[in-house]
Amino acid sequence: MSRVVTWRALVAFGALAALPALPFVSKYYLLLAFDALLFGAIAMSLDLLMGYTGLVSFGHAAFYGLGAYATAILLERGVLSVWACLGAALVVVGLYAAVVSYFATARRGIYFALLTLIFAEVVYTFFRYTQTFGGSDGIQGLPDALLWRGVPIDTPLRKYYLVLVYLTVAYAICRVVVTSHFGRVLVAIRENEDRARFLGYSVQRYKMAACMISALLTGTAGAIYPIRSAFATPDLMLWTESGEFIISVMIGGLGTLAGPILGGAFFTILRDKVSSFVDWYFIVIGVVLVLIVLFMPKGLLRWRQAA
Amino acid sequence: MDYLVAVLLPQLLHGLVFGAALGLLALGLTVIFGLLGVMNFAHGELYMLGAYAGIAVVGVTHSFWVALILAPLLVAALGAVTEIATLRPIYRREPLYGLILTFGLALVFREGARQIWGGDMRRILPPVTGSTPLLGMTYPNYRLFLLGASSVLLLAIWLFFTRTRAGILVRAAVQDAEMLDGLGVNVPRLFTLTFAGSAALAALAGLLLAPVFTVYPQMGVEMILLAFIVVILGGMGSMGGSVVAAFAIGTAQSLFSLWMNPQRVAIAIFGIMIVVLIARPRGFFGREGVLE
Repeated sequence: MSRVVTWRALVAFGALAALPALPFVSKYYLLLAFDALLFGAIAMSLDLLMGYTGLVSFGHAAFYGLGAYATAILLERGVLSVWACLGAALVVVGLYAAVVSYFATARRGIYFALLTLIFAEVVYTFFRYTQTFGGSDGIQGLPDALLWRGVPIDTPLRKYYLVLVYLTVAYAICRVVVTSHFGRVLVAIRENEDRARFLGYSVQRYKMAACMISALLTGTAGAIYPIRSAFATPDLMLWTESGEFIISVMIGGLGTLAGPILGGAFFTILRDKVSSFVDWYFIVIGVVLVLIVLFMPKGLLRWRQAA
Repeated sequence: MDYLVAVLLPQLLHGLVFGAALGLLALGLTVIFGLLGVMNFAHGELYMLGAYAGIAVVGVTHSFWVALILAPLLVAALGAVTEIATLRPIYRREPLYGLILTFGLALVFREGARQIWGGDMRRILPPVTGSTPLLGMTYPNYRLFLLGASSVLLLAIWLFFTRTRAGILVRAAVQDAEMLDGLGVNVPRLFTLTFAGSAALAALAGLLLAPVFTVYPQMGVEMILLAFIVVILGGMGSMGGSVVAAFAIGTAQSLFSLWMNPQRVAIAIFGIMIVVLIARPRGFFGREGVLE
């Protein structure tokens, strides 16, 4: 089974790596692919929590936004190294996630969802109204980041490969996590938390660890975003953004990792395509969401029964 | 003393007014939650649609009072249709699905309103103008009316739930819907009517607050978060708790804003919420173990 998954993954990532070689893939499509893969990577990170641990986080936008602000603040101040940006994002998101996960994992179900939501709203409110970081406009007009000295990540092609490498690494990490003993304990917690506790597992510690991994992966995705967009705004942290992450996971199928990547990509492309034809694309997205809940509750990939 | 009359007292009254309207919203939310097990993300949009429906009715009839009756009915009808078409098929599913479904509905309603009425801010003129001297200060008549109307409404709802057969059936359904079904009550219809009633309450809150606030398609997004906070504080599924918490949050927000700028107020409210969720997740009046 796992060998099949590995082969499939290798073929899929190989195909994605070859994508820019296709003749009809313009710069526009490369950047759209960037957005799709980044959104997919975030949905996959969230799936670690939603699909495997059974925790619905409504606050992932804060991890994403904090990562984005970490990069934006460094780039704005002339620190152009990608590695510095990623490192700063990991530290900032890690500190915040440690606090959130410590308190949120003490509660189950809808209380966990609401705690993550409210913590994220605090962060959003802070960035939205603090003029040091640009207030509601955020930080705009950022320079290109440098991979190393003399190699700027300036073309859509380079940006695309950056996100592809990130997605590959993140997927590998998630795959290792869910197939390890640790991952099986997470599933056990999802299926029956009390029983996992009786078996002697420190449930909260496992949940915290799952939260931290998910948050750090999401924060890294956030740190990559301003390298493509050249801005970071507080809207990245709004709770509706967290809602869109959850939607992507649901569209793809809970607990499948690959599903949420597809779901995130599908959602991004749907939003982009529909919005270029009509200006009421939110209605289309809302209707698609309702239809998916009603008729396809297991997601696009019907691999396993939804939680 | 001057400070008390000129600053503290009006602010306290503002808080009560806002709390009463918030109570109408939170009450509907908590009843839907207790009955259907759904955290209704679209509730803020029903609140918003109430205000817009009011504007539409005022535009035709030129009477706020007609709007006050018609707008909630229109939104209730929309709520009933929505409930039958989308929520009824997923009664027996995980709460998560209800959350995501209503999130989708919220998107549709919000964008629908923006398409129909445009994205800019609108106002409704208050139907009652002037102000009244009260305890040594003057207070706008409309806000007094708002406080009075909301209080009467809350009282009526309380009487409905304690004194009428329909209200007692709803409470019984919150306790054990299956048993009620077994006793021969048409539970799906009860659910639909309750959802419609909650929608009407949200719409009423939206329309009542419209002359005080501004009306725009996003107005429900901020309100719904506050209403969630109220519902949690009061204890999920506890109606009395929701009303008490609504007044508490309303006055707290109002009084905090005397000493802090708006974002600090928001953060302070969130802070209260975090502390309550950690220390006492069932809220002031909630039963233990609900949805844990």
